Amino acid sequence: MNRRTTVLSAAVALAAALALTGCGSGSDEPRLTVNGAFMPQPVNDMAGGFLTISNSGAEADKLTSVTSGISDDVQIHEVKDQKMQKVASFDVPANGELKLERGGNHLMFMNLKKQPKQGEKVTVELHFEKAGVLKVDLPVEAPNHNPKQH
Amino acid sequence: MSDDKTVVQSSVAEGGKDGGRPGRRAPLIIATAAIVAAIGVTAAVGLGSPAGDTPGAASPAVAEVSGGSDNTKAATVLDRPFAKPDLVLTDTKGRTFDLREQTKGKPTLLYFGYTHCPDVCPLTMSNIAIARKQLPQADQDKLQVVFVTTDPERDTAAELGKWLPAAGDPSFTGLTGDFSVIQAGARSIGIGIDPPKKEKDGSVVSMHGAQVIAFSPTTDQGYVLYGEDTTADQYAADLPKLIKGENP
Repeated sequence: MNRRTTVLSAAVALAAALALTGCGSGSDEPRLTVNGAFMPQPVNDMAGGFLTISNSGAEADKLTSVTSGISDDVQIHEVKDQKMQKVASFDVPANGELKLERGGNHLMFMNLKKQPKQGEKVTVELHFEKAGVLKVDLPVEAPNHNPKQH
Repeated sequence: MSDDKTVVQSSVAEGGKDGGRPGRRAPLIIATAAIVAAIGVTAAVGLGSPAGDTPGAASPAVAEVSGGSDNTKAATVLDRPFAKPDLVLTDTKGRTFDLREQTKGKPTLLYFGYTHCPDVCPLTMSNIAIARKQLPQADQDKLQVVFVTTDPERDTAAELGKWLPAAGDPSFTGLTGDFSVIQAGARSIGIGIDPPKKEKDGSVVSMHGAQVIAFSPTTDQGYVLYGEDTTADQYAADLPKLIKGENP
């Protein structure tokens, strides 16, 4: 009985210790949160995705890829002078943010497997160089939705 | 948003809006500079001599305007309007469409874009469609919205015919044709577009124009520019004036 308790509490302690290292007790790890995510209701078999990734950690990270059940090919696009180009990664600066917003850099979902409609949600996994994977739901909004304007 | 509009308009008005008044012609250059500054522009403004003798005709590559993220959000009234581009292209039903001929005397919005564009092109078409629906039916019938592809290889008449009603409205006109013809037409109204470029991985990089241009029903000249940040509400506020050929 007693022994059992000891083992249990040891396990708890170990788990707690792991959890602590896991969330980065030091301030030198990227700490990411995502907000303002959405997908404008697509017109054809491709869609854009927009969100802001904030990093409250003192170390920069990189968004290296995006996966989603709705498309086997989700690209990250940089926009310059009315042209969009696929890039390998986006920087998420330390104590800063990466903004993907309308008219600018964005996620691009190619060959959609289905047409998401306004009111639905599209789940994506954001893959980061250091922080691992973040799962995010993108609510599908009106085709002309643009939070920048409000 | 309406603040931005006020700012832009007042900077235009300083030199340009009352340009018809005697003695106020001189500020034309200043006004143009103000507009250019207002749109946050990299500009090669060919203020030299107007092309030919046509009054108000655009000299080629007049204003190379590229929208930055902080560009204006609503109407920029041009001091020197552009002649309507002489574009004869193919519409979504495969018929020949002569832009000058078929939009003569009608208020017209012209935009250059492509259908493999997930963001700005459908956003622009959607905003205009929403604004148009707020007009009285008679005005809706007058308004011509013309979308010219910048990626004619992929945007065939059939492709445009599928995309445009979904992105915008079934009443919109979609045009495709020879890229060099489209590029020259765009350039004549100061819109620079590069040909689509195929990347090593097979993807195609296309580009859309930076602005929507409104043509007046009274002069058939392009006299107002809208940047890509223009909202449906801003279009809705301006359309009744554009339909009469008035300054928004």
